[in-house]
Amino acid sequence: MSDQTKIIYIAGIGIISPLGCGADATEQTLRKDRSAIAPLNAKVFPIQQPPPLPVGQVTDLPDSPLPRTHRLTIAAAREAMSGYSCVPDAVIIGTTTGGILTTEELLIKEEKDSKKYRYHGLTTVAEELADAVNCTGPALTVSTACSSGAIAISMALKMLQSGEEEWILAGGADSLCRLTYFGFHSLQLVDPKGSRPLDANRAGMSVAEAAGLLLLSTIKPKNPLGQILGCGLSCDAYHPASPHPKGKGAFQAMRNAINDARSNARAVHYINLHGTGTPDNDLAESKAIRSLFATPPPLSSIKGATGHSLAASGAIEAIISSICIQKGFLPANTGCIEPDPELNLKPILVPSNQPVSVVLSNSFGFGGNNACLLIGKADTPPSPSPEPERLPGPFTILGKACITGAGHTKESMERFAKLESIAGTLDLDSISEQLPVRKIRRLKRFSRIALALVEAAKQDSGLKQSPHSVFMGSGWGALSDTYDFLNKLQNSNEKFSSPIDFVGSVHNSATGNIAILHDATGANVTCSGGDYSFEQALLAADNFLTDTAETAFVLAADETNEHYSPLFDPSIDANAPLADGGGAFYLTRKAIPGKPALELIFYQKQVENSVNKLITTLGKYSSQEEYHMILAGIPASDASDGEAQLDEFMKKTGLDIPVIHYRKFTGEFAAASSVAAVMATYLLEENIVEAGKKILVLGFGKNLTAMKFSKQTA
Amino acid sequence: MDELIKKLKVQLIEILNLSDVTPEDFDENAQLVGGDLGIDSIDVLEIVVMVEKEYGVVINNKEIAEKVFTSLASLAEFIVKSSPTSSS
Repeated sequence: MSDQTKIIYIAGIGIISPLGCGADATEQTLRKDRSAIAPLNAKVFPIQQPPPLPVGQVTDLPDSPLPRTHRLTIAAAREAMSGYSCVPDAVIIGTTTGGILTTEELLIKEEKDSKKYRYHGLTTVAEELADAVNCTGPALTVSTACSSGAIAISMALKMLQSGEEEWILAGGADSLCRLTYFGFHSLQLVDPKGSRPLDANRAGMSVAEAAGLLLLSTIKPKNPLGQILGCGLSCDAYHPASPHPKGKGAFQAMRNAINDARSNARAVHYINLHGTGTPDNDLAESKAIRSLFATPPPLSSIKGATGHSLAASGAIEAIISSICIQKGFLPANTGCIEPDPELNLKPILVPSNQPVSVVLSNSFGFGGNNACLLIGKADTPPSPSPEPERLPGPFTILGKACITGAGHTKESMERFAKLESIAGTLDLDSISEQLPVRKIRRLKRFSRIALALVEAAKQDSGLKQSPHSVFMGSGWGALSDTYDFLNKLQNSNEKFSSPIDFVGSVHNSATGNIAILHDATGANVTCSGGDYSFEQALLAADNFLTDTAETAFVLAADETNEHYSPLFDPSIDANAPLADGGGAFYLTRKAIPGKPALELIFYQKQVENSVNKLITTLGKYSSQEEYHMILAGIPASDASDGEAQLDEFMKKTGLDIPVIHYRKFTGEFAAASSVAAVMATYLLEENIVEAGKKILVLGFGKNLTAMKFSKQTA
Repeated sequence: MDELIKKLKVQLIEILNLSDVTPEDFDENAQLVGGDLGIDSIDVLEIVVMVEKEYGVVINNKEIAEKVFTSLASLAEFIVKSSPTSSS
């Protein structure tokens, strides 16, 4: 049941950053206007080419066998959940680094044991977080570079407003690692003197680490800390690593957040800037602010104090915004001595005490990926909702495409229809054949698969217009770019690293490029959920696409890399041939009779009772007789658990319909379920399935998922 | 100088993956950044890394970079002028 007037309370906050551990320590450091940026400590990781660059690092992080990002996350979660005995219905974390610091150390040691790399995947951060707070609902990961944390909170807001969830723990976390430390340096975006946002002499950012989590709820807690009033997403669709020079996307995201809250620019009392300290970011943000606000309210960037904690930044800044509201306090723009006259902004130069009711918190990232949050006082009255409420429903499929070892959609589906294997890796030239040569010259396998998929899905739709939004899932992201970056770094004793590879290695590099080529300036969300990444992208689309007029590309893709895939993905047998590819859809919310429709109806962690819950949920949608076929996905790494779950499901439902184990056709790769979704659509479109019947694509293993495919009736 | 220009053309085509350009097509006097080849700020940084690695020449100043990256010929000229192995 959708209810746009639902109030979303901030029930708890947890923060660990260079400023200190916990909300109190954070506030105290901010009140002192002291920068925590300091040269990289060799305890975080040693470097071969001194001097160390200034960074924002967390000191006194408790030791544990988990990678640093995971430890930061758990520390923030403990604080956010303190005083609460509730179990979150979902956890959503924004992260870009995941366990890569640990992976880098293992790679340097040339460790060959794949078990040691088990925390590499971004999804493991959300999984560990879910375990720590006993959450059995969806454990979701957003990876949209520096806006990840803000988008994770936005997604929680939308899920709470429109779904059945009552408690969601959401935020962001990133640890320092070689990839980001050397990557931003290779782009000449690091200020050797430490970040000085908005200063006339600013010369870049300082890479940092942190974690921030907010316990959000539709239920009013005893002592609410604030409200999330609204969120706004946008994409510049301009450049992979530079902001739109006029701040077009930033302006749109801020305006969307204010509109989402049904508020207005005059109501904003304070802006917590993205303000990284790079000349381009601060200039673009200032232009966006001056376009939106006739007289900008007090504003500051705290990144001169904390550094830029990437995926965590949007979350820790949302938490700091809520502290500002609670304490009636505005932090200074630490590091800024002489505000740059070109920006024409007046940053707060000394921390001050003054009442604040509404804060706008900005986060912008690589890929032109923007997210803004509007945060308000705990007792902000709800805004009346003039708009009809959204009812969750299926997406209409306007176009579909897949890439497999067999080729593009036609070759793949023809082979599948003959029940032949489509597993393998398509050569790069065939993948790229429909793509503009000049525009993809810097892109490697992962981004090319993604771009080719959406291009083909658009062609399949017959539409000239591309969709406004993009939602993508990937288990492992840009492995080739990451391999090339780390390899060149190591081979040069950390002297040289490739800016092109760094920009390409970012998990959302593919979606950023899709946006550029298709001028998709709406929401642009990349999820990472291991073998359930496509389902996570679909879940994100379900939450952010609320208007029947809106359209989106929803896709998943994974590339294999001969060095990394067998180490990272436990389903891949190092001695078996590799497989990769993905599937993409051009979707709309509008119902169109005769067209196939797709709906994610179940996503839960596998626990004792989850098969029963799946059966109950299915019963709410259709009677069993309506199902014609099951496409079942059981990742090789979870074969015995998955088979047992499928057996239990078949026995308990008594369904007597064909079950196709789709990974036997696609091969083992994380995005395989997106290809299964294309298979299901193909079976409906080709009328291989009886009229009126439905197909289920079920995922088993660590999670239980269900997607329903049907043809819409007149 | 001609040899260096020839070598630079091959190197740039390779590191920037200008797969549809041949060294013969590459006009060393044409605008390098923002011109027909679609070379942008990220490419410039990639060239900076390559120039330091291959020629030991560091370009870390915005004003200098702007002049150096006017054309491939100006880049070659700068390398010759600044190279640690150049006659001095």
